[in-house]
Amino acid sequence: MTEQATIRPTFAARYRKILFGGFAVLLFFAAWQTVFLFVPFNPLFISKPSLIAAGLVDLVGSGDLFHDLAVSAVPFFIGLAAAVIVGVPLGIVMGWRARVGYALDPLMTAFYASPLVALAPLLVIFFGVGVSGKAIIVFVLSVFPFIFNAHAGVRAVDRLLINVVRSLGGGEWDLYRKVIFPSVLPYIVAGARIAVGRALIAVLVGEFFAASEGIGYAISRFGDIFALDRMFGCIFAVMVIAVVLTEGIRWAERAAFPWRVGQ
Amino acid sequence: MAGYIEGRNVSLTFRPPNRAPVRALGGFDIAVEEGEFLSIVGPSGCGKSTFLNVLLGLVKPDGGEVLMHGKPIGGPGSDRAMVFQEFGLLPWRTVQHNIELGLELKKVAAEKRHATAERLVALVGLAGFAAHYPHELSGGMKQRVGLAQALATDPDVLLMDEPFAALDAQTRDLMQAELLRIWREARKTVLFVTHQIDEAIYLSDRVMVMSKRPGRAKKIFAIDLPRPREYEMRVTPQFNDLKLAIWNTLKDEIVA
Repeated sequence: MTEQATIRPTFAARYRKILFGGFAVLLFFAAWQTVFLFVPFNPLFISKPSLIAAGLVDLVGSGDLFHDLAVSAVPFFIGLAAAVIVGVPLGIVMGWRARVGYALDPLMTAFYASPLVALAPLLVIFFGVGVSGKAIIVFVLSVFPFIFNAHAGVRAVDRLLINVVRSLGGGEWDLYRKVIFPSVLPYIVAGARIAVGRALIAVLVGEFFAASEGIGYAISRFGDIFALDRMFGCIFAVMVIAVVLTEGIRWAERAAFPWRVGQ
Repeated sequence: MAGYIEGRNVSLTFRPPNRAPVRALGGFDIAVEEGEFLSIVGPSGCGKSTFLNVLLGLVKPDGGEVLMHGKPIGGPGSDRAMVFQEFGLLPWRTVQHNIELGLELKKVAAEKRHATAERLVALVGLAGFAAHYPHELSGGMKQRVGLAQALATDPDVLLMDEPFAALDAQTRDLMQAELLRIWREARKTVLFVTHQIDEAIYLSDRVMVMSKRPGRAKKIFAIDLPRPREYEMRVTPQFNDLKLAIWNTLKDEIVA
């Protein structure tokens, strides 16, 4: 290979997306910090990055943060897993079996549109303050993106591919396995990005109402005792987790579906 | 005459919900001989593709009968395979796995599938592309995969529904020559639906002209050009006479 016209982008050009994004984040925290040079600072009502960072170091050092996160992770993942297990097949059947779709669509749309968070106290009363109550809140909030995305995915299935598999002798089950499920999979992953955000909210809300540990409980307790530095520290930790999870799914999407690159 | 594939008085009406019914086929007769290359030309919407779907077993006619080897066609079967206009490739499967699809559905062992795919990849001229995804291929290459996918289950009959219509003119010329080469090697009966009279003459033993909807067989032309066909035959007086005769039969059926 001769060393010819391979154009090498400069460092700045290659990482321009991350550089610009990162710069904006830094600017935001810098502005937050500096504004209190001009505005009176009252730690009972507001915090600032330097104090939050110190609070975070405290929480990490004492192990409290990781303990709370670990406690919250249990209902988060159980609820999310249940949402996938129930939501995906339900959405696929709703999309593939027209009559099931007609029957369930209005109900599901109504549930999705209603402020389900408002039911959280009720769910805690029904199912208790333990893991199950919170897992159910997570499930209720995060199941709908899976249902609706799987449904939309099935409706976008290329009829031609159905005919291809049928003409080659494939039966109903082959259609699900060879065409419908692979077509729907990227939609499910896209749904997972939305569901993860809703599931995080669900865990926090569940723990606000009734809990003795967990990250939502920590946020609400630190708020109650006006320890705003640590409250914001916990919020910041949740924020980072949310970003890592959604970006991680986005990355997995690109890695897992190379055939979508050209679409 | 008892044909290899026979359609007698086939009729089919589509009844879409909330819309007027459409008579796609009405009293359609056809007899195809074994090993023959028969093209069907006709105006848009005359039911030519519908008939291929009937033969494939995806659609049931309302009236008449369609026989193969003297037996009625009841559904899809591995003695027939379709090459689709839009290629019909699963985008999440590589070339090799697309070719293996039909064998997979027939539960053929992996080793045998791989061997068949390897042979067909070479036959359709895609050596070195077995691990590529459809979106990485050109239109002509995609249709080569489509052809290999249809050939994989070793059907007796190839049904081709305007297979080259989505290709540019030069690729189409090349693919026609390729198809003839593969047809010589694989020795299949081919039913080829097209809009292009040139293409039909160049490829076929016989060309059937269909009427406008509801489709019937209007006239059949025997193409007595020698084989193997050469590109130069397209500019001979004999070719042009056939083209004119077919066009004159077809033009009354076209509703612009």
